[in-house]
Amino acid sequence: MSRENKSQRDPSKADLDDLQQRIDARREKYKPAPDTAPRSAWSLGMRYGSEFFGGVLVGAVLGFGLDYIAGWSPWGLIAGTMFGFAAGTLNVVRAAKDISSESNGG
Amino acid sequence: MADTNPIKQFEVHELVPFEAFGLNLAFTNSSFFMMLTTLVTIVLFTLAMSSRALVPNRSQSVAEIIYGFVADMLRSTAGNDALRFFPFVFTLFIFILVANMLGMFPYFPGPGLHSFTITSHLIVTVALAMLVWLTVIVYGVFKNGAKFLKLFVPSGVPGYILPFVVFIEVISFISRPVSHSVRLFANMLAGHILLKVFAGFIVMLGAGLGVGGYFIGIAPFAMTLGLTALEFLVAFLQAYVFAILTCIYLSDALHPGH
Repeated sequence: MSRENKSQRDPSKADLDDLQQRIDARREKYKPAPDTAPRSAWSLGMRYGSEFFGGVLVGAVLGFGLDYIAGWSPWGLIAGTMFGFAAGTLNVVRAAKDISSESNGG
Repeated sequence: MADTNPIKQFEVHELVPFEAFGLNLAFTNSSFFMMLTTLVTIVLFTLAMSSRALVPNRSQSVAEIIYGFVADMLRSTAGNDALRFFPFVFTLFIFILVANMLGMFPYFPGPGLHSFTITSHLIVTVALAMLVWLTVIVYGVFKNGAKFLKLFVPSGVPGYILPFVVFIEVISFISRPVSHSVRLFANMLAGHILLKVFAGFIVMLGAGLGVGGYFIGIAPFAMTLGLTALEFLVAFLQAYVFAILTCIYLSDALHPGH
């Protein structure tokens, strides 16, 4: 009696694997949709806007700093703003990639 | 006539003046709401988890859902080894979420009887964003050494434009804390100003046109009602966006070069 009980309470590896499989199957079934948070157009716009703004601002500040240190005025500011523009565009492209991959569930 | 200045809600008042080493370190309503945010979080989570039941009751399952939500977010964006940053991301998410929600009270039994949204101040969001950015740099260099610099060198770029690309990547990296903080700050600031402007219209119409004005005031009231619902969405969404971007940036510290 006690022996039988013990074998019931001491599940073999096959049983454990079976249980794990069933758990995984259920998890897969009840997996929440990848894009659970609803997003508003307002927050999307704000996201792109701030990404672009950040790039241009940092580029301009770096260029201005170079001007100040090396005395290239105004070329550092001009080149820095242009590089900042490029960096801002890069940020926006990356943000768009993130957002589209999120909403496609990948 | 009630005060209709839409940006008065963002004023910082000194509650307990305190000065040390020539710096003004007064305890302000901003400090009050930061402490309240921490306190509310601790009390709510302690109450929710106090039963420690295997089958959770309602409040405990809410706490567990938040826990699982952040853990899943971290796992799916930065991989399993990012879970060592779970406490950090969870703290940021909960702090911003609770602070945003406390800011949604029109009246509050606190200083000045009005609520204060700490995340509508740039200095607070910059501090949070810099914390994330510096963590990424320090941990990235500590874990990957010089390999961390691969972050700035995308693969498959021809040599003659590589210097430009690297420079642009560096600017892009430096701009992260800027956009990270400005987004949260601008969303909260703009939303709360908009809310107050429309609420102010009701008072102005009533003061200017009398009883008829209050009838016309139904229109801005409906708008205020709708915007309040939208603001609750934004309050949650911005905490979520801040946390998920933190995860994406941390993923760069863990696995640079792709």
